[in-house]
Amino acid sequence: MRLLDRVFNGATTIYEQTVKAVDEAIAKYGADQAVSLPDTAFALPCYYAVTGVKVTTLGEMKEACEFLKNSNTREQRLADGFTSGIATAIGAEFTEAIKYIEGNPYEEPIVAHFSDAMVRELGLPLVTEDIPGVAVFIGEAPSTQELCDLIKQYQSQGIFVALVGKCIDQAVEGNAKLGFNVRCTPLGYHIESVVHIVSVALRAGLIFGNITPGHNEELKAYTMKRVKAFVNAYAPVDDVTVAFGAGAIAYGFPVISNDTNDLKPVPKSIVIQPDTTKFNATSIEARDVRVKISNVDIPVPYGSAFEGEIIRKGDMKIEVDGSRMDCFELVQSKPLAEVEDHKIEVFGDDFDKYEDGTKISMAIIAEVAGKSMQSDFESVMERKFHAFINCAEGIMHTGQRDMIRIRVSKDAFNEGFRAKHFGEILYAKLKSEYDAVVDKCQIKIYIGEETTRLRNELATPTFDHRDERLGSLTDESVDEFYTCILCQAFSPSHVCIVTPERLGLCGAVSWLDAKATHELDPNGPCQIVKKEHVIDERVGRIEEVNEAVKKYSQGALEEVTLYSIMEDPMTSCGCFECICGIEPMSNGVVIVNREHTGITPVGMTFSELAAMTGGGVQTPGFMGHGKHFIASKKFMKAEGGIQRIVWLPKALKEQVADKLNATAKELYGIDNFTDMIADETIVEGDPEALMNFLTEKNHPALSLEPMM
Amino acid sequence: MEEFKLTTIEEFEAETNKLLETGAKVGADSWQQRAANQTPHCKFGEQGVCCRICSMGPCRITPKAPRGICGCDADGIVARNFLRFTAGGTATHSDHGREIAYTLMEASPDGPYEVKDPEKLLVIAKEWGVETEGRDIYDVAHEVAELGVMEYGKVRGFQRWIKRATPERQKTWEEQGVAPRAIDREVVTAMHMTHMGNSSLPEALIRQSIRCGLSDGWGGSMMGTEFSDVLFGTPHEVETEANLGVMKEDMVNIVVHGHDPSLSEMIVKYSETPEMVAYAKEQGANGIQISGVCCTSNEVTMRHGIPMAGNFLAQENVVLTGACEAIVVDVQCIFPALGPLSKCFHTKFITTSDICRQPDSEFIHFDAHNAKENAIAIIKMACENFKNRKKELVYIPQMKQKAVVGYSCEQIIKKLDGVTNSNVDEMGTYKPLVECVNSGVLRGAVAMVGCNNPKQRADFMHVELMKKLIANDIILVLSGCSAQAAAKAGLMDPRAKEFCGQGLKRVCELVGIPPVLHMGSCVDISRMMRLVCDLAKDMGCETYELPVVGCAPEWMSEKAVSIGNYVIGTGIDTFLGINPYTSGSEKVEGILKGSISEMIGAKYFEEHDLDKLAQMMIDRIEEKRAALASCN
Repeated sequence: MRLLDRVFNGATTIYEQTVKAVDEAIAKYGADQAVSLPDTAFALPCYYAVTGVKVTTLGEMKEACEFLKNSNTREQRLADGFTSGIATAIGAEFTEAIKYIEGNPYEEPIVAHFSDAMVRELGLPLVTEDIPGVAVFIGEAPSTQELCDLIKQYQSQGIFVALVGKCIDQAVEGNAKLGFNVRCTPLGYHIESVVHIVSVALRAGLIFGNITPGHNEELKAYTMKRVKAFVNAYAPVDDVTVAFGAGAIAYGFPVISNDTNDLKPVPKSIVIQPDTTKFNATSIEARDVRVKISNVDIPVPYGSAFEGEIIRKGDMKIEVDGSRMDCFELVQSKPLAEVEDHKIEVFGDDFDKYEDGTKISMAIIAEVAGKSMQSDFESVMERKFHAFINCAEGIMHTGQRDMIRIRVSKDAFNEGFRAKHFGEILYAKLKSEYDAVVDKCQIKIYIGEETTRLRNELATPTFDHRDERLGSLTDESVDEFYTCILCQAFSPSHVCIVTPERLGLCGAVSWLDAKATHELDPNGPCQIVKKEHVIDERVGRIEEVNEAVKKYSQGALEEVTLYSIMEDPMTSCGCFECICGIEPMSNGVVIVNREHTGITPVGMTFSELAAMTGGGVQTPGFMGHGKHFIASKKFMKAEGGIQRIVWLPKALKEQVADKLNATAKELYGIDNFTDMIADETIVEGDPEALMNFLTEKNHPALSLEPMM
Repeated sequence: MEEFKLTTIEEFEAETNKLLETGAKVGADSWQQRAANQTPHCKFGEQGVCCRICSMGPCRITPKAPRGICGCDADGIVARNFLRFTAGGTATHSDHGREIAYTLMEASPDGPYEVKDPEKLLVIAKEWGVETEGRDIYDVAHEVAELGVMEYGKVRGFQRWIKRATPERQKTWEEQGVAPRAIDREVVTAMHMTHMGNSSLPEALIRQSIRCGLSDGWGGSMMGTEFSDVLFGTPHEVETEANLGVMKEDMVNIVVHGHDPSLSEMIVKYSETPEMVAYAKEQGANGIQISGVCCTSNEVTMRHGIPMAGNFLAQENVVLTGACEAIVVDVQCIFPALGPLSKCFHTKFITTSDICRQPDSEFIHFDAHNAKENAIAIIKMACENFKNRKKELVYIPQMKQKAVVGYSCEQIIKKLDGVTNSNVDEMGTYKPLVECVNSGVLRGAVAMVGCNNPKQRADFMHVELMKKLIANDIILVLSGCSAQAAAKAGLMDPRAKEFCGQGLKRVCELVGIPPVLHMGSCVDISRMMRLVCDLAKDMGCETYELPVVGCAPEWMSEKAVSIGNYVIGTGIDTFLGINPYTSGSEKVEGILKGSISEMIGAKYFEEHDLDKLAQMMIDRIEEKRAALASCN
């Protein structure tokens, strides 16, 4: 059959099914029934992204079915195949949304719809290519073992996996690790579930690409260029799947299939690979996914997909627990002559000597040497230990410095993982990621008593020294700031300006990080911005900053200020940790972090606030930022600083309390400032209640000038 | 970013009109004026029913006088004229190829002519059974060149290169008696057959027209293409610009015009030397700007990215800018009008070939032995002429477009390799293109070629047809003046993908090409013949089954008819926008547009209306698709 006819057949099936589902839902709930998908600010995101129209009720959904009908044109042209494919995806979004009317219809491990926060969380790793691609499986693999091997292969490459159909049962049967945290998410058993991953791709365009909803051609160009997704469709591929495939291909996502029966190949779009064991290499090449080669010589798989893996108590062989024992990790720069490259030493008893579940004390010291190495880079590298170590399957790492917690699972231990493998991981990663400054690297691992002495004599003085240095690092004390345009792969017109007192909004790039990045790659994303001509000290308006912003945003931005959220505030890409927005009644601001799903006193959730900005656009009154910026003396300094903060989610408040209170004490002489700040346990969506609380606490914001 | 837009025909014409005003000031005439003077054209000539082959006539056929003095009817006269027209084209193209073969004989490691693509030479040597093992590449080159020249007068056998065609084509040619023998012989046979008192049977005359054409496409033209690639390099992707705006007011403008790259290659080579640049500066200019007109321009743009100033009907425009220091010509399509026109300006009109001698020109005989000296002499002459510009007459229309060109078959395959998947696909084939066609992502292809002709608005049919075709997911391969029309309009800018249907747009994005591909000069239509044959092989069908058609909407020269004959001879339907002086015989038209397809699998179509012609091609492509199993 002609390929386009197969698309049209499948599209017709889904269209008819959609109309039927909508009619039945209207009969059951009425046309005024609200319809939505959870935790997104984009209504039904696919339909909104494609048309610019928000569907919020069943009645509107019925009207929108006209669009689907009109999209199902039947000329023998690819354009018709594309619109039919897109209509098919939207039809699926409608039927899925109907299922959500009575609450989340899915049970673990099905993920189905992704919240905006999840999409935003994926932003940074997609940009850094720690998630270099997204693999969508459809159908049933030839065997459970083969599927699980393939999933693991993608995971070890960092590729995000989404499963649709029978492969979910196969994955469960084969004990594949499933969940958003391990980047392997079952979407659902019906083919329509595939729309949930399409929705992620399209929202990426809206959130990071600042694509205006309804500008579908721009959206297609964005996803094709920047979202490296692809589909593995197992035989038999029916017409409906072909129609969904056309939608995927419209947005630039190729389909790889072993179906040799009447599925016509199209270069880089439909790739027929009869040998399913070769799907990994075939798919990666089809979508031009750049997999970072990390030859980490350890007995367990290694890849960013395992970064979020959780090791439960019962599954662990040993636990390095910095909260109870003397543990630490440290990077130290040494003269070249004192370092023997790739020397890994383990002092003390290895894991074999311990009973399952034992807490041990352990210290990891990486000694690095290089002609361009600077002691400022030590902390930059050290902070990456978390990500480096976490990427090993069966190993979990949290915290830093002497407050680390590392768990090694029994499985990893049984696979042969021992203390020296921490050394292998750190050696390989430090040498590859910091190759411009690390010429030689050796690792020392101490287990047992020795760690206490080393912590007292070596680690603690180093950390104290660094804190002193960090404390003295202020925007005034340095001559240079840095740009960070790492995100431009996804958000082409956004530029961060990173200063000592204002880290990148993603939370991942501090001034020292930026400095190190610049050193590593002088033509890379972090460029020096000299701070010579200050136009306005109060708001942080600097001539060189404006020039840099203009240059690196390709003219999209003219001016930004560093310390104001009202006057030319700094833009954001979309992957910010927190969003801050003004609360007009109190003259204050609320800050909400990505993890918090509840409503804020301004009547909006994180997702809704976040949707006000992002994509490199300036929206006065709204600003994305990193968590650590909250306690900065430069946080909205122009508007009076942190005393404007009136509401924070409780968890975030606790996280920043010490530093925030210290800053408030220093700036305003206020003790325990965080006690004056409301949280969701005190007030959620009600500005009146917020005012009552603030008045009762005599919050300083109330007496400040209005911001608007 | 600046918004991309195509240049319209109206914009072309507005600038041309401004240039004509300059012409009027200096008393120059123009093709526009001369075309008006020649209208209406002689009806008998137009219909092809005028015969002046012997001195009994001239005879012309009317209802009252249905036969000439010898008794020949309109069918015989029209068919004889058609064959002679073809022979003129075959002779011209093929002699160009022969000149290149002689140049290859002179190739030397010391220059000025070198072997730039030894790889291609070795391929040809292997095809022709020339020993290469342990031999100096120049020995091989000279032997291959010698064999090439022999193809023109070979005693027996057929053209060597027909073996490159599909087995079915070779068999059909043999069965139908149209397999081309010695090239010169096919031209001589044509002249002999059409001499008074020989053939008057239309079928026989048209059969020889096909054979004569095939000796061009699979003989002389292919030699021109292949040996030029050996000498000057096989074209590869290169960025350039097109339209009069490529000429620079502050530079010495040398415009190369004609067809044979032997001259223009040398002009380009030596104009880039520091000595010549310094010389231009001594004369008060900021440097030397080479640009081109017609197929010589195509040759140097394909290989070096030298900008294209214009095509056939723009040749007078380059002089009318008042900023052309020298228009240097080799052979073919050179208006004799350039002589008198150049006299109205400071422009030097320099002829270089014994084949093309014209009044009011400076003749500098150019051959392989004096190439360097004469190229330098010509460049110096142009530089010295810079100071003679009449400033008040200088007007260079600031109109140009970016173009990415250089799509030889080799380059196309290389681009297609870029979209293969090494885990499943074979490299070095047209299979990715086949997949696009089979799946319907691309509907098919049109090879659009040929000249300009005042019978159509200059470039209008080319550009507007292309726009309609690309919007319908039909990819275009172009050569000759058609390619330049596309480049001037902006269709060779990769951003022109925005004017395509979704299928062609996606192909452009993934493969990284513009929607219309510049394949070279008019002899390079031989590249297209190789393309369709190899495509058919990769698609597993015959050439006449491919959803591919040829189109010459504004053709004018005898060469174009020769080309048309070898294109249909290769199994590709050809759509004409101008009648080849055959309307005087229903019988001849009936053969060319009908029964000939039974003989060789393809035929001519003719339509002068833009919309109808576009639709006819789209319909024909869809018809071919419907009949092709792999598309269904």
